[in-house]
This record gives sequence, C-alpha cells and structure tokens, in this order.
Amino acid sequence: MKSYYDIAGDGGSNVEAQVVAKRGRIAASLAGVRHMLAIGSGKGGVGKSTLTMQLARALRASGAGVAILDADLNGPSQARMAGFGRMPIIPGPDGIVMPRTPSGIGVVSMGVLVPESEALDFETVARGDTYLWRATREFSLLGDLLAGVAWGTLDFLLIDLPPGAERTFQYAEFFGPAAAIVLVTIPSDLSRGVVARSLAALRKTPNRILGYVDNMKGYACSGCHTIRPLFAESGAIDLGIPCLGSVPFDPDLAAACDRGEALPDDPSNPTRRAIREVALEIHRCMEVT
Amino acid sequence: MKFLCVLCDQPMKLVQVAPPDRGSLSVVYECPECAHRIAMLTNPLETQMMTSLGVEIGPSGEKTESKCPFSGMIQGMSAPSADGDLPWTAKALERLANVPEFVRPMARVGIERYAREQGLREVDVQVLEQAKSFFGM
Repeated sequence: MKSYYDIAGDGGSNVEAQVVAKRGRIAASLAGVRHMLAIGSGKGGVGKSTLTMQLARALRASGAGVAILDADLNGPSQARMAGFGRMPIIPGPDGIVMPRTPSGIGVVSMGVLVPESEALDFETVARGDTYLWRATREFSLLGDLLAGVAWGTLDFLLIDLPPGAERTFQYAEFFGPAAAIVLVTIPSDLSRGVVARSLAALRKTPNRILGYVDNMKGYACSGCHTIRPLFAESGAIDLGIPCLGSVPFDPDLAAACDRGEALPDDPSNPTRRAIREVALEIHRCMEVT
Repeated sequence: MKFLCVLCDQPMKLVQVAPPDRGSLSVVYECPECAHRIAMLTNPLETQMMTSLGVEIGPSGEKTESKCPFSGMIQGMSAPSADGDLPWTAKALERLANVPEFVRPMARVGIERYAREQGLREVDVQVLEQAKSFFGM
C-alpha cells in the first residue's frame, strides 16, 4: 500500500502552493523596502512601541523613507502615537494606501481599524478553543497585511513586535532573516533577565541582532536639567550584544505619545538627543552588511 | 492530508467541498480507478485550523467566499446602511480589487461612509483620491 510520501501533491487543495504564492505576494510587496528592522524585547512595558515611533521620527528627520508595521495586533499603539483618528482603508492602484503622519511616516496598525474600546476578535466556528488556533490566525493576518499594503520604496520598515520572549522568536521566524532585530530593555535585572531569554531564543534564528537599547535609563528632569536614576542597576546581567544607546525617560515624551504628537524640536532635550543617537547608530549598523 | 483508496492503492481526488454547515466542512473525495467516493467531515475546530492558515480548501482554482474576519467588530459592517449601498464605478471597483479580500468589506464601508459625509452619491476613483488627501495619506 502506498504511503504518504508515495503520493505527489496534497489532498487536492494545493495548500503548499497557496502558502508559497502568499510568500511570493509578501516578497513582491516588500520589494522596495531596503531595511527591515524588528523592535522587540520579550518584556512588556519597556517602551518598545514608543521607541519604535521615536526612532521612525528620528530616521525620517534624517531624510530616510520610513514606515512602521505595528505587529502587536492585540495591543496596537502606533495608530494613537501617530495621531490617527478614525480613517477608512483606501484602495490604491497597488494595494492598501498607507496612512502617513504629517512628517510622512507610514503607519500600518490595527489600531486604525479596531477602536480602543474593542479587543481584536476573529469570526470563528470554534469559539472556546482560541488557544489552539489564534496565533496561526494572527500570523496569517499579518501576512495578508504585509502582502496587501502598498509599501512603496522605503529605507526602513520598522516592525513593532508584541511582548513575550517566545513571540519575539516566532516573529523573527515569520519575518525571516531579512529582518534585523533590536531589543529593548529597561535597566532592571528583571527586564534584562527576560530580554536575555528572548536573546537565547533569537540566537537559534539566522536573524541579525543589532544590539539592545537601554530605555528609561534615568529620568530626564526638565526642572533641574539632570538625569536622575529610575531603577536600581546591579549590572549583573550582561546581554553580550552591543548597546546601541541609552534613552532617559521623559514624561513630556509620554504625554506627546498619548496625544499622537512628536516631541518639540528641542535639540537640548536629552531624550530626543539620545533617540537621535540610537537612530544614527542603527542607520550605521544597517549600512554595514 | 491525503486519502488513499486501499482497494485500488490509488490516491483519491478531491471533487467537491460542500458549503460549511455549523462550522463543519464536507469534503468529498473520489477514487479515479473505482469511482468510490468518501466524504471527510471536519469538526468546527478542524475547520478553524484550516481557516487560520489562510488557505482555501477545495479543488484547485475553486474559491470560497472570503469574509472579513472582524466584521462583528466594525461598526456598520453587520447591518447595511439605511441609505443603501452607494454605487461604485467600474474603475473604483478595480481599485477595490487591488486590496486583500479580507479588508474589502471594511474598505467599502469606510469609503461609503466618507462619501456620504461629503454628500456624494457615487464612488469613483476621484472620490478615492479625495479620501486619500482628506485623511492625509
């Protein structure tokens, strides 16, 4: 009797060819993207999304073509940070027209489609078993977005990853080796420990890990113009990858993000300066292959 | 998944997928030698697993109706507008066909809402371009 491997093709739906075709559509859609950079951590609440938007603003200010894909489908924050309100999906000649900030940063986020009062939910015939199929469905949706958006020509596509060490690894595999990774931590041992786990998982992928950003490294006091410590730092966990820079916490930045605005153009602002330096370092690293 | 006619030792061919019934798919296979037919009946979870992969089940080239996966969450998606559908020109429909199937219903609802708010009675390519400018894209 024939075995599975004696029979060419699949059961008749040609599933493999469908998956290959989808991969092809994604590759075609991203053909004009020069650098793909995924910004993750593993740890939640360390400022991945804020940093992603601020890096995009800094890269854009240097003249680069930049877009953000908010890959956090369940907790999208880029739409708010971009200052987007309710807006429709507009069909263009080459796919979905990418919404842009006033400075020209393209932002693709489920936050535009799903109001903040709602949780992302999928039509399903298997309610109650979401833990079995949901992750697969989300990656499929992400693939549809990647293939369906008219990304055009970009120097940088920044991908804002959701939290979770295992998710960071899965997303690295999903985006493939073309996506370089930047990890974000805060200077606590707890956060560094989680980032170290993500790193251990990411080392099993071929993705290039550019380094990490030490976020919320002190508090930029606008009253006394000093950086004051926020976290007790033991320095016990060495991540063993380059530090791309340290960014102090700035309450004005947090407030600006809530309002969907950029930080005022003040070159003396230490947070703004630090983000710019991280962006420059990333730009430099990405140019070195 | 593949099916083998044990009597003929021949792979069976997928011949038909019946429309889903309460989350179950009926997929009919036939042996090309003896014409014996069997049906694979999926349970809702199995159907969902296939849907989650984003692939179509059916003989090559046969497409099932694609549905917006979050239609229940989008205002105006579940119930048609009281004003009825706005007509779309052929060129505008061509544009709509350029976006992935799963977002077409959302795109249609959003554009029609914009057009109504602007007092327009038809969606053409110019309306799409206007909307693009209006929303700063």
